[in-house]
Amino acid sequence: MTLTRLQLRLASFALLLVLLAAWELAARAAGMSALVLPTPTAVARSLWRGLASGYLWPHIAATALELLLGLAIGCVIGFASGVLMAESNVLQRLLKPYVVVSQVIPKLALMPLFIVWFGFGMTSTVVITALICFFPLMENTVTGLQQVDPQRLELFRMLGATRRQTLLRLKLPSGLPGILAGLRVAVVLALVGAVVGEFIGASKGLGALIIASQGMMDTPLMFAVLALIAVLGLLLYEATLMLERWLLAPYSQPA
Amino acid sequence: MSFLAIDNVSFTYPGWPSVVRGVDWAIEEGEFHCLVGRSGCGKTTLLKLAAGLLRPDTGSIRLQGRQLLAPGPQLGFVFQSPTLLEWHRVLDNVLLPVSLQHPPVASEIERAQRLLALLGLSGHARHYPRQLSGGQQSRVALARALILEPALLLLDEPFAALDAITRSELQDDLLQMCSLRRTTVMFVTHDIAEAVYLGDRVAVMESGRIVQDVGIDLDRQRSGAIRYGAAFNRHCAQVRAAMDLVAA
Repeated sequence: MTLTRLQLRLASFALLLVLLAAWELAARAAGMSALVLPTPTAVARSLWRGLASGYLWPHIAATALELLLGLAIGCVIGFASGVLMAESNVLQRLLKPYVVVSQVIPKLALMPLFIVWFGFGMTSTVVITALICFFPLMENTVTGLQQVDPQRLELFRMLGATRRQTLLRLKLPSGLPGILAGLRVAVVLALVGAVVGEFIGASKGLGALIIASQGMMDTPLMFAVLALIAVLGLLLYEATLMLERWLLAPYSQPA
Repeated sequence: MSFLAIDNVSFTYPGWPSVVRGVDWAIEEGEFHCLVGRSGCGKTTLLKLAAGLLRPDTGSIRLQGRQLLAPGPQLGFVFQSPTLLEWHRVLDNVLLPVSLQHPPVASEIERAQRLLALLGLSGHARHYPRQLSGGQQSRVALARALILEPALLLLDEPFAALDAITRSELQDDLLQMCSLRRTTVMFVTHDIAEAVYLGDRVAVMESGRIVQDVGIDLDRQRSGAIRYGAAFNRHCAQVRAAMDLVAA
């Protein structure tokens, strides 16, 4: 049996409803305390209360801002250093070991240090998010720029293209699909960085709110915040996919 | 003085045995020369030397009397694969050699469209390369090599990946385009029939040397029919015998 795209979407949505209903029934039947496993209706109520009263909005804004700032800074630096390393063998040999060391250290373990350096609050979280986004973008940029078809490089030499033209008109466009794949990875990792950064380094934001709800033993609120984080991640991921589809449209014309 | 003069040229990739050994060859203006040989005999390397993409270890290459030091737009080069930029439309691909120098002006865009029309692609100018068949992509690559009206056109097995009928159509297109402009051509192939059909002269290459020089005295106005004539087959046999002679 083959399903159309619409049918598949509907089926996927129906599956969500079934799972939520099963959760609701199981939680009620088992008579579990809302502290351990709140019912979906309790979570929804908590979420609605938080949104309607305006309690959640500043936290959402804080996390979204950190996320976007960290993503932008990390991606710009990652892309720029990727280009530099791909263009200069010397620079690559010189810097690569340090970059790799900076990435094998679990970055979240650096958060206490960042709090010492940048203070408790937004700056530390942005720095850690940027540090996390930096690596996938740099790696994919280096790989993308260095995997250009040698015949096309010869073509550009044949046509007397300058180094700058070869970079801008051949290497970057042909590496673009790989670079955008790096961006997609960076977006997902950025959310992890921002939320976990807030666990220890902030009093505002969705990550801080999870810790706070744990302290208040308000498990329905914790689930509500988790749902918000999931929505935030989905929105950002979909936005990246749309950007990718828009930029890569000429690459993927049907044959 | 020859249009392209290759004098005692040798070339070695570092750490490998010599690829091209003491080759002498001359092409007069407007002539169409083919270079045949087995895979790995050094024909592509010789073509890249003639293009200035590689510098000879010994000997010299002169184009119109001047030493060839670097590749440039006076040369057209067609690679084994079409090497089109898939993020550009067909028209922009054809105009690439122009747009690397300055933004194309109206007369150049018109010239590109005329070239595409000559090659039967006028309806595809706004399409992307992926939307074209292999033969059409090869035609676009040919148009791109011709847009600057180069005096010398170098081709490296450009039709090797195409089916027989498309290939013979493209061979006729190439002959027509080149005789129109009296372009001097050096064409590398491993297909003996292709070399005899296209060339005024056929050079047979083996282990880095040119071992035989076969003149083709067929009618310059080629048509499909000569492929089945006795003279054509005699020339093919001659080239084949030269290749076998070396192998023996």
